[in-house]
Amino acid sequence: MKLTAVIRENGLSLLPLILVLLLWEVTAGYVVKDPLFLPRFSAVMSAIYTLRNLLVPDLLTSLYHFAIGLTLAFALALPLAIAMGWFRPVFKAVDPIIEIVRPIPPLAWIPLAIVWIGLNDYAAGFIIFIGAFFPILIDSYSGFRDVPRVLVETGMVLGCIGDRKLIRHVALPYALPSIATGTRVGMGVGWMCVVAAEMFGVGDSGLGYRLFQKFYFLHQMDYVIAYMLVLGLLALVLDRMFRYFVEERLFRWKKGIVK
Amino acid sequence: MAVMVLGCLDRRAGELTTITIGYQPSTHQIAALVAAEQGWWEEDLAQFGITKVVLKEFPSGPPEMHAMLAGELQFAYVGAAPPISAIYEGLDAKIIAGVQTQGSALVLRPELADSYTGPESLRGLRIGTFPPGSIQHTVLSRWLLDNGIDPNTEVDLKAMGPSDAATAIGARTVDAVFLPSPTPTIIVAEGNGVIVEWSGTMWPDHACCCLVASGKMLRDHPEIVSQIITTHIRATDYEIAHPEEAAEIYAKWMGANVATIKDSLAVSDMHWTHDPHLLVDSTLAYADIIFDLNRARYEGMGLTVLGETDIFDTRLYDELTR
Repeated sequence: MKLTAVIRENGLSLLPLILVLLLWEVTAGYVVKDPLFLPRFSAVMSAIYTLRNLLVPDLLTSLYHFAIGLTLAFALALPLAIAMGWFRPVFKAVDPIIEIVRPIPPLAWIPLAIVWIGLNDYAAGFIIFIGAFFPILIDSYSGFRDVPRVLVETGMVLGCIGDRKLIRHVALPYALPSIATGTRVGMGVGWMCVVAAEMFGVGDSGLGYRLFQKFYFLHQMDYVIAYMLVLGLLALVLDRMFRYFVEERLFRWKKGIVK
Repeated sequence: MAVMVLGCLDRRAGELTTITIGYQPSTHQIAALVAAEQGWWEEDLAQFGITKVVLKEFPSGPPEMHAMLAGELQFAYVGAAPPISAIYEGLDAKIIAGVQTQGSALVLRPELADSYTGPESLRGLRIGTFPPGSIQHTVLSRWLLDNGIDPNTEVDLKAMGPSDAATAIGARTVDAVFLPSPTPTIIVAEGNGVIVEWSGTMWPDHACCCLVASGKMLRDHPEIVSQIITTHIRATDYEIAHPEEAAEIYAKWMGANVATIKDSLAVSDMHWTHDPHLLVDSTLAYADIIFDLNRARYEGMGLTVLGETDIFDTRLYDELTR
């Protein structure tokens, strides 16, 4: 009874996933037949088991790099977003610089990370910071910039006089969903930079280091794909955790607005 | 997946009219560029219906061997170690000729170079070099061990590519680098380091680069492989006889400073050679070391240490030079 309920509840998510995995297993085993082109799903699962002793330290290292980058990105992007979204002259002054720097791929920053920061965890964090900073900034300042005039005027009528009070009591609550969206996108982009952040000698562990400097170097494709899957699964877990805490807890008041 | 299938179909279609040769931007592999610059590849292969020879540059050996695994390269100028790890993983290819021996250098930051007296001076230093399994990592680790220094605990070996390593020593984020030519000389020319050891003193006559042919070419087109070896021998003899011109060709292709490249060739302990037999002993030692690094995996796959005939096919070279 319980099983049928679970299947009914999650079937729409699980069925395509199971089909893709089956298709992968069959295609790799009976069509491609070359593990260098495409290892079987079962071989990749076996690789994850074989690599279990490396996985935990590598995961922790990558999460540490991610935490450095994301914390820095949030800490710098939010104040700048408030200033750009609320004060028009700041936006005019800073926006051209942001738009020039924003399209530069995080990989292109590696030489500067080596020179400015050195070969350490903070250099890896810096590359992740580059990936996460701009989505957080752009979404957040959009949230502050789009505060409806009627809300600002209502706030003033209710005693919010001055920018500081208006930002704190009107703009910030209004912009929170945008900040959350930007943070979620920034987390995704930042996590995508983990491999690049760990492939230039910053340390001797990490998912990206192991994937690029060890497994790829030795053409161990089942190990490469095992770590790619771990990267993807961890991103999913991080995203689900973020959504749970932000959407289910912080923004409970939003529930039911649309559905 | 559709893209992959289409890629496979595309590669299988049609007659062989194009040959693709991989190489890396190193003075070790100038022979490939000399033959291209002189037009010898196309000229010599035209008799076999080859109308186009494409030279593809790779930043290092692993992606080059990966391209060969994917069937994108028929021939590759590459270090002797990357083909070994690829052959362990199923690459159908063999070394058909030598390219050069030795030719990597240990470069110390200028302020550390004065007090350098030998391997003991490296204790506690951070050294940038290629990842484990590469020739550079293998040669350096073995030399350190031979001199009583544990490469895992008494020095900090940082795995990185040549550009990152050159940047790192310039930024003083590593104390030394161990890299193939011409990067050591470029670092010296920029004032960021001093060459203190050449790899030939660490492991005399160690194998470095070689010429690899895909198994398919060896089986289906031995006449083309034979011609590739002949042209390679011609280019190697030419670069040995005309090193200045070889340096100019390299500088032209890579946009490098001619004087620095000439200097690199003058100071390097590298020996260009087309003889694959000179590479055999040390290449087999690399095969042993790479097997040890991945023992659990390879034994699990039912593999044993590669032997000479697993790695080399000198049959055509021997026929040509008999």
